[in-house]
Amino acid sequence: MRVPTITASWVIVKPVRGVGEFFAMSLDALAALPKRPFAVREFLLQSWFVARVSLFPTMMLAIPFTTVVVFLLNVLLREIGAADLSGNATAIATVNQIGPVVTVVVVAGAAATAMCADLGARAIREEIDAMRVLGINPIQRLVVPRVLAATLIALTLNALVTLVGLVGSFIFSVYVQDVTPGAFAASLTLQVGTTDVVTSMVKAALFGMTAGLIACYKGISAGGGPQGVGNAVNETVVYTFMALFVVNVLVTVISQKVVPK
Amino acid sequence: MSSPSTLGDRWTRPARAFVDGWNRLGRQAEFFAATLRSTRDAVINYPSELIRAIAQMSLGVGALLLIGGTVVIVGFLTLMSGATVAVQGYDSLRQIGVEALTGFTSAYVNTRIGAPLIATVGLAATIGAGATAQLGAMKIHEEIDALEVMGVRSVAYLASSRVVAGLIVVIPLFCVANMTSYWATRFVTQMYGQSVGVYDHYFNTFFYPTDLLWSFLIVIASAIVIMLIHTYYGYNASGGPAGVGEAVGRAVRASLVFAVFVNLMMTLAIYGPTGNFHLSG
Repeated sequence: MRVPTITASWVIVKPVRGVGEFFAMSLDALAALPKRPFAVREFLLQSWFVARVSLFPTMMLAIPFTTVVVFLLNVLLREIGAADLSGNATAIATVNQIGPVVTVVVVAGAAATAMCADLGARAIREEIDAMRVLGINPIQRLVVPRVLAATLIALTLNALVTLVGLVGSFIFSVYVQDVTPGAFAASLTLQVGTTDVVTSMVKAALFGMTAGLIACYKGISAGGGPQGVGNAVNETVVYTFMALFVVNVLVTVISQKVVPK
Repeated sequence: MSSPSTLGDRWTRPARAFVDGWNRLGRQAEFFAATLRSTRDAVINYPSELIRAIAQMSLGVGALLLIGGTVVIVGFLTLMSGATVAVQGYDSLRQIGVEALTGFTSAYVNTRIGAPLIATVGLAATIGAGATAQLGAMKIHEEIDALEVMGVRSVAYLASSRVVAGLIVVIPLFCVANMTSYWATRFVTQMYGQSVGVYDHYFNTFFYPTDLLWSFLIVIASAIVIMLIHTYYGYNASGGPAGVGEAVGRAVRASLVFAVFVNLMMTLAIYGPTGNFHLSG
C-alpha cells in the first residue's frame, strides 16, 4: 500500500474523503435496494450469522445491565418511600434506555465487527474486485443483504433485551429487594406506553442500519495487509459506537418533542 | 463391511468439542497468569516499549489519530451518555413534577453507572481493539517468533507492557470521561430551561466523592480485564489477514461481555444492599 506523506492538506482531506465515500456507498446501497435479483439467500445467511454472533453477548449483557440499574433505582425509590413505583422506574430504564443501549453495544461490538472482519477478509483476498470483474455489483450482492440483515436482527435483539430486562428486573426486585409483585406489575405502564416501545424499535432499526452501513463500508475499503484488516475492524467499532450514541440522543429528544404525553 | 462404525461418533464429537473448549480456557488462564507475572519484568526491563505503548494508546493509531485519538473518542461517548441522562432524567422527573432533581440524577447515575460503564465500553473499542489488531498483525508476520528468537521475552515485552500501559492511560481517560458526562448533563438541563443554581445545588448536595473513587477502582479493574483479553486474542491470532480481523471481532465480543460483567458485579459488591446512600436522612 502507498504510504501517504503526512501533510496539512492530507490531514484535512483524508477524513472528509472517507465521510464522502461512506455516504456515496450508502446512497449506492439505497439505489440498489429495489433492484432485482434480490440476494435472498445471502440475506438469510447473514441474518442467521448476525443473530448467532450476537445472541450470547446480548443475553450476557442484558441480564447484568438491567440487574444493576434496577438495583440502584430500587435503592433510591425505597429511600424516598416509593418502592411501589419500582415497576415504573424499571419500565423507563429498560424500554427507553437499556434496551437501545445494550442493542448499541451488541450491534456495534459483536455484529458490526464480525461483518467487517468477514468483508475485510474478502477485500484483502481481492474477492470483491473479482466480483466486479465478473460483472456482479458487490453493493447489490453483499452490502444490501447485510444492511437489511443487521436492521432486522437489531430489531429482534431490542425486543429480546427488553423482554429479558423486564423479566430479570421483576425477579430481582420481587425476590431480592422485596417489592410487592402486584405493585410492580401495576406501575409498569404508568409512564411507558406504546409510543415508547415504538420509539425504542425505531431506534433499534436505525442502529442496525447505521452499523451495517459502517461495517460494510469499512470492510469493503479495507486494505494494507493484516494490520489493515485489524484497523478496519477497530475503526468500525469506534465509528459505530459514536454514530449510534448520537442517534440514541437525537431520537430520544425527537420522540419527546414530537410525541404528546 | 469395511466402513468404520459411526456409532461412537455421536459421543466423541461433543466430548472432543468440550475438551477443546476446556483446554482453551486453561491456555487462556495460563497466558493471563504469565502476563500478570511478567508485569514487573516489563516495567524494569522494557520501559521504552511501555512508554511507546502508552503514547499509542492515549492518542490512537492510524485514522483514529486523525479524529483526536482515544481521549476524544471516550470523551465524546460519555458526552453523549451524559446528554442521555439529562434528556431522559429531566423528562421522566418532569412528569412527576420534580425536575429540580435532575442535578441529583447526574450525581447519582453518571458517577455510579454512566461514566464507568461507557468508559469501559470505549476502552474496549479503542485501546483494546487497537492492541489486538497490532499484536495480531505482528503474530501473522511472525514478528513475535522473531522476538523470541532474539531472546526477548515476548509476553513481557508485548502483553504485560500493554496491560500496564492500559492501567496508566485509563486514569486520565476516566477523569476526562467523568468531566464530560457531568458537563453534558448540566448543559442539556440548562437548555431545557432549568436554572444553573438549582441544578448545582442538587448536584453538590448528592455528589459523594467516595463514589467517584469507587468508580475509579471499577474502571481500573475493567481496564485490566480488557487488556488481558485483547492481548490474548492478538497474541494468538492465526489464519492470515482475515484471521486478524476475526481475532479483533472475537476479542471485542469477549472483552465487552466480561468487562461489563466485572463492572456490574463490582457495583453490586461495593454498594451492597443498602446502596450506601442517604437521601431522607
